Amino acid sequence: MKRVIRIASGLLSLLLVLAPGGVGAFQEEGTLRIGGMWALSGPAAYIGSSSNGLSSLAVDEVNEAGGVMVEGKRVKLVKYVYDDACKAEEGLTVVRRLADADKVLFSLGPTCSNVAEPVFGILQKRLGDASDTGLQFLFFTDTAIKFGLAKISPWAFRNVGNEPQMFDLTFKLVKEKFPDLKTVSVAYESDFAHSVSTWKGAVKPALDKHGYQVTEVVEWRFEDTEFGAQTTKLRKANADILVMLSHTFTTCGSVKELKRQRVKAKLMVGITSTANTETMTGCGQAVDGLIIPTNFAAINPKAKAVAEKAWTKYKADSNLHSVPAYENIYAIKGIVEKAGIKNRPETLLQDRRKVRDALAKLGTFQGLIGPIKMNGDDDPVKPRDVDKAIILVQAKGGQWTIWWQPPEMK
Amino acid sequence: MTDLLLDVTQQLINGLMYGAFYAIIGIGFTLFFGVMKKFNLAYGPTIMAGIYLGLIPLYLFKMPMWVVFLTCVAGAIVIGFIVELACFRFIRKGHELAPLITTIGMLILIQETVVTITHALPYEYPNIFGDESLDLGPFLVRPDYLAIFITGVGFVALLYLLVNRTRFGRAMRAVAENPAAAQLLGVSVKRMNMLTFTLSSALGGVSGFLVAMTFGALQPGIAGWMTIKGLVVIVIGGVGSIPGAILAGLLLGVVEFQAMWFLGFTYRDILAFLLLFAFLVLRPSGLMGKPAV
Repeated sequence: MKRVIRIASGLLSLLLVLAPGGVGAFQEEGTLRIGGMWALSGPAAYIGSSSNGLSSLAVDEVNEAGGVMVEGKRVKLVKYVYDDACKAEEGLTVVRRLADADKVLFSLGPTCSNVAEPVFGILQKRLGDASDTGLQFLFFTDTAIKFGLAKISPWAFRNVGNEPQMFDLTFKLVKEKFPDLKTVSVAYESDFAHSVSTWKGAVKPALDKHGYQVTEVVEWRFEDTEFGAQTTKLRKANADILVMLSHTFTTCGSVKELKRQRVKAKLMVGITSTANTETMTGCGQAVDGLIIPTNFAAINPKAKAVAEKAWTKYKADSNLHSVPAYENIYAIKGIVEKAGIKNRPETLLQDRRKVRDALAKLGTFQGLIGPIKMNGDDDPVKPRDVDKAIILVQAKGGQWTIWWQPPEMK
Repeated sequence: MTDLLLDVTQQLINGLMYGAFYAIIGIGFTLFFGVMKKFNLAYGPTIMAGIYLGLIPLYLFKMPMWVVFLTCVAGAIVIGFIVELACFRFIRKGHELAPLITTIGMLILIQETVVTITHALPYEYPNIFGDESLDLGPFLVRPDYLAIFITGVGFVALLYLLVNRTRFGRAMRAVAENPAAAQLLGVSVKRMNMLTFTLSSALGGVSGFLVAMTFGALQPGIAGWMTIKGLVVIVIGGVGSIPGAILAGLLLGVVEFQAMWFLGFTYRDILAFLLLFAFLVLRPSGLMGKPAV
């Protein structure tokens, strides 16, 4: 009996692995499979859903324009999407499915850095080394922003913000515009990888560099709802600048508590992920005055049109995390059309490698609001990460307004 | 020294006020266990779903907050009824652990349903008490916390009257004491279970409405948070004891706030769970529970 159960479960597993792949798919079917894994449920779902929506919009546009040219034939993009719920264990399951069962060429996502870290950890570390049995699977990440994640594997590429650079610029500008502000208090989410890395790897070095005095540092959790004790500490510190490195939900709760305890910093600076519509929906005008560095704002007609279409069609917010998902689809389309891939199940590994190598040599490609430069494998500081324009936005009257933008973009 | 005393007192006030909310959740859990001798782990999601249902008249029809309040309570009662039906009523006798599993399933089901419908977007929840604190001498008191505290005290008084001075309360106690004997005396156990669900869910709806206002923004993760806090409170207070739940709720609130102030945020949960383990090891019957024979 046990043997029968074992054989049956073995067959079932085999079916599960093979069924979605189907040998007749790919080039013969006229499709090119791409993947996406984001937090589509749980507290970070509002971030992942927008990336999913923006990438769907790009897929729609590419397909409506005829698709992608592969070996002289136009094929349509087909997207396989999974929810990792911002949980590492879910992410590890999903990446195997995308790579082995769905056989996608590459994947967008993940949303959360705590998912990206272990997922990139199972990818191959040494290209072309047969003894390295890591997964040969390409990621072109749009969201997971923790500094240096792409260093983990040569298969990991990212089009995400460079937070050390973003906060360095932010405090440089703040220093120029408000030279009288000297002291800073900081609040961050100690259980959330992005928040911790932003504080330790981006904000603290920037504050030190620009000569600010940190008078208080308080912590809370990503899903906290009570901020009374921490806010009392911030009130006692009475700093000129308050740096809120917490995400939308906690930002909304904490700014209301600040108001309640009559804490009035002269300036508030927020974490990159909070520059989105959800913050305005959830916090209302309580975030008025908050300044955030970002890589996206609808500052040109093309960006405005995409943001409107994404919202109308997918209720997807266009922000620094979601817009790269849109941009990455177009970047990959350009690469695929030049890299000479075969788009067949039996050439999948070679195809992935060709696209990976081309992505590493891509150099500059066009983003929605300006050029984006992809660093190659040999970049000593941040290989396979991008450099792109930084904009500073400010919450005003329930809307994000431009606080600063590079002169060449005006 | 004065500064220290002010800080301790301020955090004591905050802890007691917030602890009142823990106490109310604890009372809800206690009612289930006291009457049915079963844990309802879907209580947190029931409250959460009630709060979300309350958002419908607010967001879709721009209705006033009293309608939101009524919808929230009614919503919690309806969800509570569904939980009773799906997780308890048709579970055969002798399968005491089954409701534990069914309610965990229901917890996930309700939470994921809300996530799917709302895309887990945080929704602003208006606070009828405003965003200003009250000055109480040198101390600041949040009016919404004060409302929770007063509501908690009111609930305790009402529950006391209900349980000790009414026919319903006598029947409830009889079922809690010995369901078989109560049935023989003409008390419908099924009806009592349903009424207990209604009462607990209504209690949850009221406290959920208040607590959603204190949060300011709403997201589905609060269901898990309420479940954990509720379980900690009933273990510390003594499973099945309403006075125990009240004391434990207040104690938990005070410990958490003092820990956050003096030791830092990370010690909040460490101390709360150390307290839980201390009770489990040293006094498993909790503050007011009956010791196991």
